[in-house]
Amino acid sequence: MTPNDGSKKVDWFKGIFPALVTPFTADDQVDEAVYRELIRFVLPHVNGVVPCGTTGEFSSMTLEEKRQAIEVCLDEVDGRVPVLAGTGCQSTRETVALTRWAKDAGATGALVVAPYFLKPAFNEVFDHYKQVNQVGLPLVLYNIPQCAGTHYKWWTAEGMGLAFDNVVGMKDSSGDMPFFMAALEKLRGTIGLFCGHDEVAGLAMLAGADGAILASANIIPDIWQEIYRAAKDGDLEYVRQRHKDIQILTRLVVRKGGPQAAKESLRMMGIADMSNVRLPMIQGGEFEREDYEDMRSQLENLGKIGSQVVTLGGKEVEYTLPADLPPQFGDLSLCVGEGFAGPPFSEIAHIDLLLGWKDGPVGRALERARNEPRPGHELAIISERPLTMLVPTVTVRGAKARQLVYEEAASGVNLALEHAIAHHNLPEALLDDICLIANVFVHPAASIRRRVMINNYKAMRGAIRKALEGRPTLRELVAEKESARHPFRYAP
Amino acid sequence: MNEKPFRPGGVNPALVTPFAKDQSVDEEAFRALIRHVLDDVDGLVPCGTTGEFNYLTPEENQRLVQVAVEEARGKPVIAGTGAAGTKQAVTLARNAQEAGATACLIVCPYFLHPSDKGIYQHYYEIARALPNMPIILYNIPQVVDAYLPRRVVEDLADIPSIVGIKDSSGNLTYTMEILEYAGDRINVLIGHDEVVLNALAGGVHGMILASAQVYPEVWQQVMAAVRSGDLDTARALQRRVQKLSRIFCRYGGGVAVKQALKMMGVDAGRPRSPLKSVGGALIHEDRAEIQLELEKLGKVQVPDIQFQVPGGPLAGRFEGVGLDAETIHQEGMLLGSGSAGEGVEWVQIDLLCGAKKGPMGEAWAYQLTYPRHGFEALTTILEPNLTVRPSTLIVPANELKDLRQANMIYGPVQNAVAKALVTKLDEGVIPETAMQADVLFVQAAVHPQALDRRVLGRNAYAATCAAIDSAFAEGR
Repeated sequence: MTPNDGSKKVDWFKGIFPALVTPFTADDQVDEAVYRELIRFVLPHVNGVVPCGTTGEFSSMTLEEKRQAIEVCLDEVDGRVPVLAGTGCQSTRETVALTRWAKDAGATGALVVAPYFLKPAFNEVFDHYKQVNQVGLPLVLYNIPQCAGTHYKWWTAEGMGLAFDNVVGMKDSSGDMPFFMAALEKLRGTIGLFCGHDEVAGLAMLAGADGAILASANIIPDIWQEIYRAAKDGDLEYVRQRHKDIQILTRLVVRKGGPQAAKESLRMMGIADMSNVRLPMIQGGEFEREDYEDMRSQLENLGKIGSQVVTLGGKEVEYTLPADLPPQFGDLSLCVGEGFAGPPFSEIAHIDLLLGWKDGPVGRALERARNEPRPGHELAIISERPLTMLVPTVTVRGAKARQLVYEEAASGVNLALEHAIAHHNLPEALLDDICLIANVFVHPAASIRRRVMINNYKAMRGAIRKALEGRPTLRELVAEKESARHPFRYAP
Repeated sequence: MNEKPFRPGGVNPALVTPFAKDQSVDEEAFRALIRHVLDDVDGLVPCGTTGEFNYLTPEENQRLVQVAVEEARGKPVIAGTGAAGTKQAVTLARNAQEAGATACLIVCPYFLHPSDKGIYQHYYEIARALPNMPIILYNIPQVVDAYLPRRVVEDLADIPSIVGIKDSSGNLTYTMEILEYAGDRINVLIGHDEVVLNALAGGVHGMILASAQVYPEVWQQVMAAVRSGDLDTARALQRRVQKLSRIFCRYGGGVAVKQALKMMGVDAGRPRSPLKSVGGALIHEDRAEIQLELEKLGKVQVPDIQFQVPGGPLAGRFEGVGLDAETIHQEGMLLGSGSAGEGVEWVQIDLLCGAKKGPMGEAWAYQLTYPRHGFEALTTILEPNLTVRPSTLIVPANELKDLRQANMIYGPVQNAVAKALVTKLDEGVIPETAMQADVLFVQAAVHPQALDRRVLGRNAYAATCAAIDSAFAEGR
């Protein structure tokens, strides 16, 4: 018996497919205009697109909205690349109906997630796909145990990959490489295999994946296209190098709320009207505010956020500003910025930053503090330009704590100053006239020196930006007034 | 039905092992601990998980069992003799038997994750090697990373020398399943301090608990109450020790128990490395919480605390941050005050708002450059990375003497003040222009013995709203 009469692979199922985010309007409808803008942005760099995938928040959309998004996508793409529509629902009945609709609407194929929430047994999952297969549209199986709660075993992947004539591929977002390698071994040559986990997508393509469906391909479709081509050409060195460039970005996207991470990134990069995620996902939720700062640094490093000339402190200066922030700055008498970064718990950094003119309140406070001794709270001038003073928040006891505060935290703060200057977040022209006071918290139980340094770096970079830009805004504060979770509010 | 040689039950403390500064076993401290606890317990359990058995040499293990037997005045001694390997476990059980232990407590073999068959054979071999040594099985998935499989327990219960099982999982569905399938042959002991009442009501025969060396009398009362069918009393008793039991179970085990004993005047020494006395699994904040709970139980003396409410003219209350009444009036700063609540959760908030360019800005900046010990000022945040504007510093009105007092200010009060400020911005009471132009001090008077974070937060919110209203709406 031959396990399979030839390959079911299709030509169109290869390369980079962004799992498109779905923009919503202010009154929570699918925002067609911004959706089209997004598609136009990614289209030059991609081999296909996926509307209504996990990153597209399909699970928070009504049937009508999913149809609308898929229709808009088909219209905007206009046949230039394949459209692989997310049609997976919880029940078989609904999945079949939406897949049938997608077929009639002209989708190239359907991406069908494993039925989720109530955990069907594998034979039930098998029969689910069996019925969807009868629709006649090319199908891509979709394994994402992080959300669906069920994980294919290699034998179920093999079983379904071989059994159903319309199954042309599988997307595996688990990041479980042993599973993916087993699936490659069992199925390569029969159906196309895509990786859906941004952190390991390059690796998977080198190992033989035909392509990748990625949340981060909304943001950096160009870089993913380079990686895909290099992997196809066997240029191991290039794939490694380029993957390293985007590793932090992909980690943020995969682990810290992909849809919101992608949406905020796109806003920063110029799709200024891109919405936030739909409830119950929330801005400042899974994609935390420290992740926003981190992502912003990554996009700056990759050259995705540009600089412009703004007026700051009475001078025309170059400043790197995300597209969605207004180029308006307050006066520099006393700017306050807070920064928090972790994990781990013991190595968290918290910085209260003051930034202002040397001859203003900050400068005067700094000079006054400089001339007063304070055992346990020794101040340190850690930079002369800009003049920067480090103040430990809590009394420093013992040699280990001293080292963590005055060496590790201090070097993190200094590195942040250095990068802020280099990336035009702290204008060179102001450095002689301003000073900074960084009130730095290092936990007494901290032990990983490197993390203390890095977290203080991150906290400080965020604090500098927030001090100058006057963030958070009233709108942000009001939006999160009720949902904010202060970590020390609760009893153990 | 097998005749079991020993029926474990009652209240049994899983004794900590006191270690001296040089990491050696402190035998005298161990004896003192047993004497402290003996009257209120039905048996002793040396070298359990709480006793850091896995850090003990076989010699130390045997010696500790021997000491327990010497001190037990005839009460049963259930020796912890578990090990990852069967051979070691047999040796430890034999040693315990020679030392005079009544029974041994043997944890599910760990680390290499043996199969069901392997686990069965582990216990079977120990029982075969020592047919006269009563064995208590021990399920603790939190550290073993696996459950002792119910079907294995069901079969092991037929072995005459297997007399019981200790279930520390806290998963009552497992406990009920064990009672159902093995409760007719072996005694089931609850090992999770948070669900003692529930397990007793479900039919377990007794308990082995870390907290049974801190408040054994409470557990005796719970057991008596359940036996007499007085569930109301049992619930109230369990509720009294719920938080402390939770801290012991989840935040450090033996390490936390040692801290509690120390606070009660019983020197239980240190943990063995790599565990830390505090700052590891038991963080400083939770240690502070243990102290508070022991105060509530009457296990430690409540310190006499003076609480002074800031009084006098409002403008005179900010000298601590370097602003006198004259400056405040001269600069036309806004002043407001509010209070709310009663008893130890009563809160008073004094508020001062001024232009950041003037003396206010300088005083404000100075508070962050010179944290005053016990009066450390913190910026007001809804949560980390969500700072309120206008920038606001919270300053304690009274010196903070310990971490727990600090936790009340920098947790619930900070959050409540933040929420009040944003609410009043949203309502337009605080003008939006103030977000960039002004800075604020919020001086919070909170009783050092405040207990209830939720009530405290609610009062701080009301007091801050009142202070803002009086400063911005009425104070101009």
